[in-house]
Amino acid sequence: MSSHKNISIVERRRLREKKYKKHNLANILTHWFNVAMWALLLPTGIAIISSPRLGLSPLWMQELFRNMFGGAANLIKFHYTLGFIWGFVLIFNILVGFRKYFVPFAVKRMLLDKDDIQWLMIKPIQMLGFMKDKELPPQDAYNAGQKLYMYVVILGTLGIMVSGPVMALKTLFPPILKQIAQPLHWLSVFAIVAGVIIHVYMGAIFPEEKEAFFSMFGGNVSAWYARAHHEKWYWEKVQEEMDWEEEVGRQIQESSESKKPSTHSQPSL
Amino acid sequence: MADKKRYGFVIDISRCIDCRACQVACSVENSVPLNHTRIWIHDQGVQGTFPELSRTFVPYNCMHCEHPPCIEVCVSGATYKDPNNGLVLVDQEACIGCGFCVEACPYEARYLDEKRGVVDKCNGCIQRVEIGQKPACVATCLGGSRLFGDLNDPGSDASIALKNARSVFRLDVEGKNIDTDPNIYFVNAPKSLTSLVTSDAFKQQGKAVPRAPEYTISEEGWKKVLVPAIAAGIGASFLVQATYFTKQLIEGEKEFDE
Repeated sequence: MSSHKNISIVERRRLREKKYKKHNLANILTHWFNVAMWALLLPTGIAIISSPRLGLSPLWMQELFRNMFGGAANLIKFHYTLGFIWGFVLIFNILVGFRKYFVPFAVKRMLLDKDDIQWLMIKPIQMLGFMKDKELPPQDAYNAGQKLYMYVVILGTLGIMVSGPVMALKTLFPPILKQIAQPLHWLSVFAIVAGVIIHVYMGAIFPEEKEAFFSMFGGNVSAWYARAHHEKWYWEKVQEEMDWEEEVGRQIQESSESKKPSTHSQPSL
Repeated sequence: MADKKRYGFVIDISRCIDCRACQVACSVENSVPLNHTRIWIHDQGVQGTFPELSRTFVPYNCMHCEHPPCIEVCVSGATYKDPNNGLVLVDQEACIGCGFCVEACPYEARYLDEKRGVVDKCNGCIQRVEIGQKPACVATCLGGSRLFGDLNDPGSDASIALKNARSVFRLDVEGKNIDTDPNIYFVNAPKSLTSLVTSDAFKQQGKAVPRAPEYTISEEGWKKVLVPAIAAGIGASFLVQATYFTKQLIEGEKEFDE
């Protein structure tokens, strides 16, 4: 497979016009639901952590949110309630789409292959400004960096979902678990946040990935973007298209063959 | 007279007869579970050699410290020092019952209420004090050993007893990063009594107070390992993002070069 840099101008124009569907509606809605919940849960969560010994949240923020919600207890209740809604909806979505979306995604999109490992070895060095001329191996629908971030998000989400209820349902769990749950919850959140900084920048601001941002609204990316950034996925799509054309061609042929006897028998009636 | 109140206890050790009526009164007033108590009377044991024997009882409860180590560790902000009256209180609706503060308190003045899943402690009977009554333990003390009042007000019971005292000592804990500055003043104690730690009998019970504040492994690990690790992670991530963003701002965007 040759580099996309050798593609002719006519072909580039054609690829720009052509659209491939990258995200389906369920994923788009779940993504933005997740964004909205994080936007509410992260600041309230940071504002709750008031331990002066840890010194993790600024005093003005603690006071601002406590005053907004009317005291520490109400702030915590808001965080709990929203957290349970968040967890419930995500788990519900995964269970409902388990066979249709989750299993194919986990099997086809998440595993790291040889190209991914090579990408992970080259890309960080290129980001530091060396080996610019070395070509990156072709990537799947998600590149190796995205895949790594996916693992962080999945593990972090599990960590949050396990440790959150332990603290919220305080009569059910022994103190030792509540003690462990606190740093676990915090670690899970901020491991994800460390990735989110890059994720938001790459998704929304970085010029080369602009199509990725709009694909989170409309679901489509151009074939040119797919060819340039996710080559393996592009060829997969092309293969799907060819299979579809073949299938439709056969169906048309079959239906026209099956119609022949009926047209013959008509005049005899 | 200062603007703000500083409620505190003054305990006249020479007047305590170990009747423990205060413990009963406290438990009834505050619905303390049967297997717990919010206040204690420490028995120093018989001291000296015959015929010069003495026995001292030291009532105590939460010291309502000026700089309480329990507040330092409370993650949800449930434990706080009331700015208006100086009492250290627990907002049990905000408390998740993790017990970081139980370990941190040098006086063992806190306990975990397993049934409700929260931490409980002496609240200076704030519900009585606010309507002009004395705390239950003080009101019931027949020897007049326990006194309560605003230490900033020279006319309060506690301040007068403190002024007339023959001797005063506090169970202050001072260390590297800690100075509890407790608000229980023990007065008229025998000279032998300088700290509750001096008693061997007390140590054998495994309850030598005051002790150094303890921090649980999860709290310590959080502070010393996780915080630096995550700070490094977030810092690195932010730096990468900032570098690329700056580069983007300087170089500008080209529409057809994606």
